[in-house]
Amino acid sequence: MKRTPVTMPVLSDTMETGHLVRWLKKPGDPVKKGDVLAEVESDKAIMDVEAFQDGYLSGPLAPEDSDVPVREVIAYISDEKPGPDSQSADETPAMEKTPAQDSDSQADDQSVDKSRDQSTNKTNVDAPQRTQESESESESGSEPESDSEQESEKVSVSANADAQAQTQKQTQSTDSISQAKASPYARGLAMELGVPLNQVAPSADGVIHANNVLSAALQGPAPNLDAGPAWKLHAFTPMRRSVAEHMQQAGKTPTFHVSARLSLELLAKQSKQQKHSFTLLLAQAAAQTIKEMPLFNAAYTPLGLAYRNQIDIGIAMDIPGGLVTPVLRDVAGRSLDELEQSWRALKQKAKQQRLLKEDYQGGTFYISNLGMFPLVDNFDAIVPLGSAAILAIAALQDGKASVTLSADHRVVYGADCARFLEKLNDKILGFN
Amino acid sequence: MSKEIFYWQALNQALDAEMSKDDTVFILGEDVGLYGGSYRVTEGLHAKYGDWRVRDTPISEGSFTGLGVGAAMVEMRPIVEIMTINFSLLALDAITNMATKVPFMSSGQFPMPLVIRMPGGVAKQLAAQHSQRLEQTLMNIPGVRIAVPATPQDAWWQTRQAIRSNEAIIILEHELLYFSKGILDKTAPAPPMHRAMIRREGRNLTIISYSRMSLLAEQAATQLADEGIDAEVIDLRSLNPIDWDRCVASVEKTHRLLIVEEDSLFAGAGAEIAATLGERCFYSLDAPISRHAGLDLPTPYNGKLEAASIPTVTSIKQAARALTQTENAK
Repeated sequence: MKRTPVTMPVLSDTMETGHLVRWLKKPGDPVKKGDVLAEVESDKAIMDVEAFQDGYLSGPLAPEDSDVPVREVIAYISDEKPGPDSQSADETPAMEKTPAQDSDSQADDQSVDKSRDQSTNKTNVDAPQRTQESESESESGSEPESDSEQESEKVSVSANADAQAQTQKQTQSTDSISQAKASPYARGLAMELGVPLNQVAPSADGVIHANNVLSAALQGPAPNLDAGPAWKLHAFTPMRRSVAEHMQQAGKTPTFHVSARLSLELLAKQSKQQKHSFTLLLAQAAAQTIKEMPLFNAAYTPLGLAYRNQIDIGIAMDIPGGLVTPVLRDVAGRSLDELEQSWRALKQKAKQQRLLKEDYQGGTFYISNLGMFPLVDNFDAIVPLGSAAILAIAALQDGKASVTLSADHRVVYGADCARFLEKLNDKILGFN
Repeated sequence: MSKEIFYWQALNQALDAEMSKDDTVFILGEDVGLYGGSYRVTEGLHAKYGDWRVRDTPISEGSFTGLGVGAAMVEMRPIVEIMTINFSLLALDAITNMATKVPFMSSGQFPMPLVIRMPGGVAKQLAAQHSQRLEQTLMNIPGVRIAVPATPQDAWWQTRQAIRSNEAIIILEHELLYFSKGILDKTAPAPPMHRAMIRREGRNLTIISYSRMSLLAEQAATQLADEGIDAEVIDLRSLNPIDWDRCVASVEKTHRLLIVEEDSLFAGAGAEIAATLGERCFYSLDAPISRHAGLDLPTPYNGKLEAASIPTVTSIKQAARALTQTENAK
């Protein structure tokens, strides 16, 4: 029987791990070349892992909802239907060894039955290590209020030696952060820099290395939660991590805000009549304004201002589990109908979390619209890196809405923003 | 005044230089006289210094190495050539029980200015009995010094230093190095005999190696630089003593250590290096120390299998990547 490995695909240059969302096939299922085997989440997109040859999916499968280093084997395709023996092996999670339990080298060789028999043993071995490594967490987190039964079992692993192998498997992805091993050098650095190790995200190999500690230290002080009530860590989803990292970077931008109340009633009416999305009409008005004020299409770089030859507007979208900013290309240069078409496609993709890098990267100006929340009368947004400003639109009240331009003061100044808002107002009013 | 010469020529010139200066220096071994040595190292010396100072011996490593020990005890400076390290097993009694014990047990009443030269290593399909390294066997004998020159320059320096030294010294040459070329600058000041040398400076990891493997490590490091992996390469030059300070300083800088050796992994030189540097650099290590070594098996005769049994430039690069890939690409 020939078995060809299926590996975690490399979906971007910087991708170190992929989040295995779910399997769409079971071990033993016949698969054809091109069939979707699994879904994998990276940065902001969920991608399909396809079979690259005919055969049968066979295990061990990497567990669902886990982070797997790129190029690591997540399953096999065999040319024969796997027999009952290998079926049982299929249940053994391929990731048993990584990342939290690397030290437990025996686990690798054990079939599921065996490892269940010895689970008491195994947990015993693990227990002191776990408590030791995350003393602070298990002290305060040993009696958590939890959402589900599974999770309550999970936290008590350190205290309760009877925890089953099953639950252990599920705990790994979330616990791995606080339980990760650290290199001696990383430990020393963490101590010197005062970085609590249980709040440092490990590298792709599941181990905390020096540069993980350094980047945690650069991110600023981590809150000391142990002084407060019991807490439990939920690992970042790739999307949340990505948003957090971008916001962290954008936080260094010297930002200021200029607000105005614009009459948007006409625009809203027009949106209804023409059946064009309100956001789209706004984006177009903004693009027309930017066209006359190209400074708002520039970006700060250490060498100078980068003026772009096309206006690509990123539009913040609220989706389940996070935030994405699909980018509408060439807003000033295309007809409303064309834009509408692109925008619908982007919205569709965003809702299914299927946006690709090229769908959400490289905006030159941004819009964030909270108009659907009638109580919000004013807010401002964070200027994403690579743009000069972001326009925040609050809810319509008495035909007017508060519009706030947050801008990078290295690119545009207060009067520029005032002029921008005036021009935008003209565009909106002159729309009919 | 420097020029490119063969490794064997550097050895030959070092022997000649010392023999011409000091009458007590003499050579003995199999085929060292009329034939000029199996790897040409003693070429021309018999004609120049005659039967008494370049002596052919019977095929009997135990007896002629013992003869060397005896000559050293009476303050001659013998250079014993053992045709390959594989035959040195027959001379282990002379090396272990005599050469290193006599000065110790006589409280230094007997000196031991003995040099034993021998080549080792995997060459080109010489089969299992003629492809051994055996560094670990010799390293485990207390009191014996071991030099492992990798370049003609080091061969020149270390052979002359060994001949002048009053301690028993083994010079481990490598069969594939004799016909490698390198610059020899006879006017350059010699570093201490047992000083390790940094062949390439780097920041991301330290590769410690010796003899032929240090040359491969250097090549691997040059290629790794194109991938953004900046490796520091240390050539130990001496396996006993080992220049720990230089190794420690490097590991404290790079925080990652890869050891490359041609000899088998199990209980090899790399095990000693890993253990000592694990003790001395524990708090500086950002990843477990990694050893990349020959396979634990007699060297296969088949050419492909033989090549696959020891590290190559490609495999060294892989090992370095594996050790550094935990780094974030940022």
